[in-house]
Amino acid sequence: MATAVKVDGYGFERPEDFDFETYEEFMSRYLSVLVRRAKKWEQLFGSSPLEDHLKRSSKVKRYTRKGIPGDKRALVWMTMSGALARMQANPGVYQRLLEAPTHDDPVIDAIRTDIHRTFPENVFFVDAPEGQRVPLFNVLVAFARRRPDVGYCQGLNFVAGMLLLVVKDEERSFWLLDAFVGGVVPTGYYTPAMTGLRTDTRVLAELVRARWPDVDATMRREGATFDLVATKWFVCAYVDVLPVETLLRIWDSLFYEGAKVVFRVAVTMVARQRARVAAARGLADVVSAFRVAIDDPANTFAHDFMADVFRVPGSFPMATIDKLREQCERAVLEEDR
Amino acid sequence: MANRGQVQRPAGSSLQGKICQFKLVLLGESAVGKSSLVLRFVKGQFYEYQESTIGAAFLTQTVCLDDITVKFEIWDTAGQERYHSLAPMYYRGAQAAIVVYDITSQDTFNRAKSWVKELQRQANPNIVIALAGNKADLADKRMVEFEDGQAYADENSLVFVETSAKTAMNVNDVFLTIAKKLPKSEPSGPSGGASSRRLDEGATDQASTGCCK
Repeated sequence: MATAVKVDGYGFERPEDFDFETYEEFMSRYLSVLVRRAKKWEQLFGSSPLEDHLKRSSKVKRYTRKGIPGDKRALVWMTMSGALARMQANPGVYQRLLEAPTHDDPVIDAIRTDIHRTFPENVFFVDAPEGQRVPLFNVLVAFARRRPDVGYCQGLNFVAGMLLLVVKDEERSFWLLDAFVGGVVPTGYYTPAMTGLRTDTRVLAELVRARWPDVDATMRREGATFDLVATKWFVCAYVDVLPVETLLRIWDSLFYEGAKVVFRVAVTMVARQRARVAAARGLADVVSAFRVAIDDPANTFAHDFMADVFRVPGSFPMATIDKLREQCERAVLEEDR
Repeated sequence: MANRGQVQRPAGSSLQGKICQFKLVLLGESAVGKSSLVLRFVKGQFYEYQESTIGAAFLTQTVCLDDITVKFEIWDTAGQERYHSLAPMYYRGAQAAIVVYDITSQDTFNRAKSWVKELQRQANPNIVIALAGNKADLADKRMVEFEDGQAYADENSLVFVETSAKTAMNVNDVFLTIAKKLPKSEPSGPSGGASSRRLDEGATDQASTGCCK
């Protein structure tokens, strides 16, 4: 199946040093997982309306943790995230958002600048009429107008770009982006002060400190903070950070369980490189250890990776996260004064 | 991914040579070519469309001045204004900064000036700042005159250079000039510049076998 093709299933050109051997090993096992999951989801769906089946239940949660089949992914994300409800409640809104002219607007200029700088190595992000560059521009412009408090934040180009590659529909991608920013991730990730983002990188530091004081001690000693090494993990929710199959599995749970999945993944990656980070000498060494965490071939094995994500960090009560957020946000706001 | 750091260990005589490590930060408006300058310097590569940098990328590269090896730890930052709140973390403790603008855009030059002001106010007081007018290959679209860049740099005691990440013009030179100006914590260090060996373009290339011959 997975032969040595230069482009993956989502249009990303594989780098020259792409590890085909690891990928083959992963795919040969993952295909049977996909077949098994597809059967389960078929049974879950049955013949009645989708919404009835996606009511929150431990079964659906377990199913999403084990991966949503590719052909159902867009619809399930739309339903679970509330994007579908948003779209149905706002007929014609997307089209109207795109009606105003797009010149002489600094926000739109910023979007325009980034269109060619989004997945330049992806075969679908080309200028051709059927390419994704115009849809990407439209989605980001419509979003900036719907959420003037956010406007455009670099990083949303990668999130929106990934949605387009999966959903393959401009308006649906827009509503998913709207639900993502407006409900899935905490507020203040993409706003000009980025308070929410800076809060969450500190929350991650606390979660790590509670688990591995040695990692925390090294990072403090070397002046390495998580906003230094992990900003992109949070801003892009792992797009352009982790391999695509793994990313999609993360997003399956992210759209169902919410942003704490982002923490689970981060904590898991730290756990896997714990010894390396703890033993690091000098800031460059710490940063390299996190680089290894991202480039780790083990990240390719999406199914095992996700099993770790829900096992390694241990229990993750939302109450703990909320409390840490409150405490860390105070520190961020204090810093801004 | 863009920020794969690599350390070049110069071959041969480096053992008795001194290795100096410096933190360098790149600042400037979005899409002026910060990442492209770093990619050109570290890997000798250029892409017409370089992915937008989110947060920051970290890379290392070494250059050699006579018997001294200078290792740059480079923080390549995101340009968008809202990432500004993260910037102090990158320039804190930096010994050098390259503030980049795009010669085809007056706005980016103004933004560069405000970065210089911020560095003068908040960064390490001895920081060596270089001002780089990038995209010099786009001379027919020029909006910022060479003289304007030079005059501003002179007034503020900055290193000034116009660069092109695309053609590689002056890219290695700006890092070399900075390397020469940085204090090497040895009173007789090659700070005068006259005694430092001029290195050619290939000398700092990742692929070269080493620059300390």
